[in-house]
Amino acid sequence: MEMDPLEVFKVEMPGEDYGAEKYREIIMDILQDLGLIRSIGRLYVYVDIKTPYFAVYGMIRGKQPPLTVGDVGDLLEAEGGYQITVDDEEHMSNLIRVLWGTYGRENVEQPDRNVLVVLSDESPKDLVVADLETEFKRDLMDALVRIAPEGFRNRRNEMGKDSFFFLAAEETIKPELLSEAKEKLGGMRDA
Amino acid sequence: MLDPVMFTGGVYKHDLVTELIEDLGGYLLQKNVTQSEIILLMLVPHEDMPVLEALTKELRGKLERAPLAGTEIAVVTPTLAIHHLPHPACDVAEYLRRHGAKSNMIGMGRGVAREIAQMDEYETALINEHDAVVFTFGNFVDCIIKKEHLYRSLTVPVIVTGGPEMKKEDLPYAFEYVPNVGRIAHRSRKATEIGSLDNIVAAAGRALDSVRAQISKDPLTTTPPRVMEVVREQVPDIMQSHSPLPIALNLNGLRIKLPYDEYHEAVTGVKFDEGVTLGEIAKVLPSRMKNYILVRILPMSETGFVV
Repeated sequence: MEMDPLEVFKVEMPGEDYGAEKYREIIMDILQDLGLIRSIGRLYVYVDIKTPYFAVYGMIRGKQPPLTVGDVGDLLEAEGGYQITVDDEEHMSNLIRVLWGTYGRENVEQPDRNVLVVLSDESPKDLVVADLETEFKRDLMDALVRIAPEGFRNRRNEMGKDSFFFLAAEETIKPELLSEAKEKLGGMRDA
Repeated sequence: MLDPVMFTGGVYKHDLVTELIEDLGGYLLQKNVTQSEIILLMLVPHEDMPVLEALTKELRGKLERAPLAGTEIAVVTPTLAIHHLPHPACDVAEYLRRHGAKSNMIGMGRGVAREIAQMDEYETALINEHDAVVFTFGNFVDCIIKKEHLYRSLTVPVIVTGGPEMKKEDLPYAFEYVPNVGRIAHRSRKATEIGSLDNIVAAAGRALDSVRAQISKDPLTTTPPRVMEVVREQVPDIMQSHSPLPIALNLNGLRIKLPYDEYHEAVTGVKFDEGVTLGEIAKVLPSRMKNYILVRILPMSETGFVV
C-alpha cells in the first residue's frame, strides 16, 4: 500500500484537549528520536483517562526487505574467493558475524578496514546481513512503551504484517477493555 | 538585611571578593570552580552592595541577584524513568539552581499512575527537610487533581507544575500551580517554555517569602549563615567533605554533610561568642538524606533570647 509518512495522525482524548495536543508533540519527538517517522503511514491514538487506558493503532508503511551482502557492499570475484568492499560501516559487525558463521573464521580475511575477503567458491551475495523488519519492530515497541504514560504498566500489543495495535492500562487488561479500545480506534479510522 | 547575590567571573583574583565579603560581615555560601571560571554565592549587607559592585566591575565579573540563595528546593518527579527525565525535571532543577537555590531531585518510588500513586512516610519526611518543593506532573487535568494526596501531608509550600491551565480552587493544597510545563520529550528552548521556567522561579520566590514571613513572626534564635560560619571554624573536618556544598542552608536551619554518629556531638558543642552552644539553641537531628546532620534552629519563643 502506498502511503506518505504519517499521512494520517489522529489523537483523541475526550475531555483532555491540552493532553491530546501535548501527546501529539511527545509522539512526534519520540518517533523522531528513534527514526521511525518514515516507516509509519497512519497513526491513531485514543486515550480514556477515566478508565484509564492508552491505545494506539498504526499502519506500517511499505515492507523493508532483508538486507543482503550485495546490498551493503560491492562484491568482486577475486582469486580463490570473493572480495567485499563496504562503503557504509553501519552493518560491518553484522556482516563479519554472518560471514564467520557461514564460512568459518579461518576463511574470512580483512586486509583493510573496509575490505573483506572470503576464501570460498560460493558467492556470499544473497546472505542476509540484517533483518530490518525485526529491528524496526523492536524499535517500534520501544517507542510505544516510552510514549505511553508511565503508570500504565499493563500492556498488550498485537504486531501484524502491516499494522500494529498497542494497549496500555493501569488495571488488568480484560477482554471488554480490549474490545472497547479496538472499537474506539476502529471508529477513528472510519471517521 | 543581607542581599543574596551571585558572582560569576574568572578564578584570577577572586579571593579579593571572598576577602571583601568577610570584611563586610557577609557570608560566602557556595564556591564553584569550573576550570578558569568561578561562581560564588554570597549574602552581602545591603548597604555595602556598591563596594562589591565596584570590585566586580574592576575584576570584569558579573554580579546578579540570586533571590533563591540560601534555600533548598526539592524537585519531585513521579519516578526516575525516561518518561519524566531528563526533560523537563532537569530543566526545572537547573533553572532553580541558576537563581541560587540548592535544588535536589527526588524520584518517588511509587509516584506513577492515576489510581495507584502513593508516597511513603520516608519520602514525605525527606521532602519536609526542604524549604519548598516543586512537583512535576503531566498533561492530564484529571491526573493532576487525583494526585493531590501525594503532597497533602507535606508541611512545606508545594508548587505544582503541569501542562493544562487549571483553576487555583482545583488544587487547594498547592501553594501555587504553574501551567505549560507538563510532560515533554525535548529540552526547553522555546521562549514560551523558558517563560514557564521563569514562572516556576517566581512562584518559588513567593513560596519562600511566605515561609520567611511565617518565621519573622517568631524569629529564630540565630541565623543559619551564622551557624554555618561557626561550624566551619569549630568543626574543621567539614572542609574534608566531598560534597559540592558541605553545608546546605535552609531558611530555618542547615544540613551538615558529615556522618551523624561521628560528628553530632561536635556539632552540638560548637560555641558562639556569646557563650551559648549550638545544642542550647537548636535541635541537632539525623537527616533523612544519607547519614547527614540536620540542624533546626529554635525560635525565640523557645529559647527566650537572640544571639
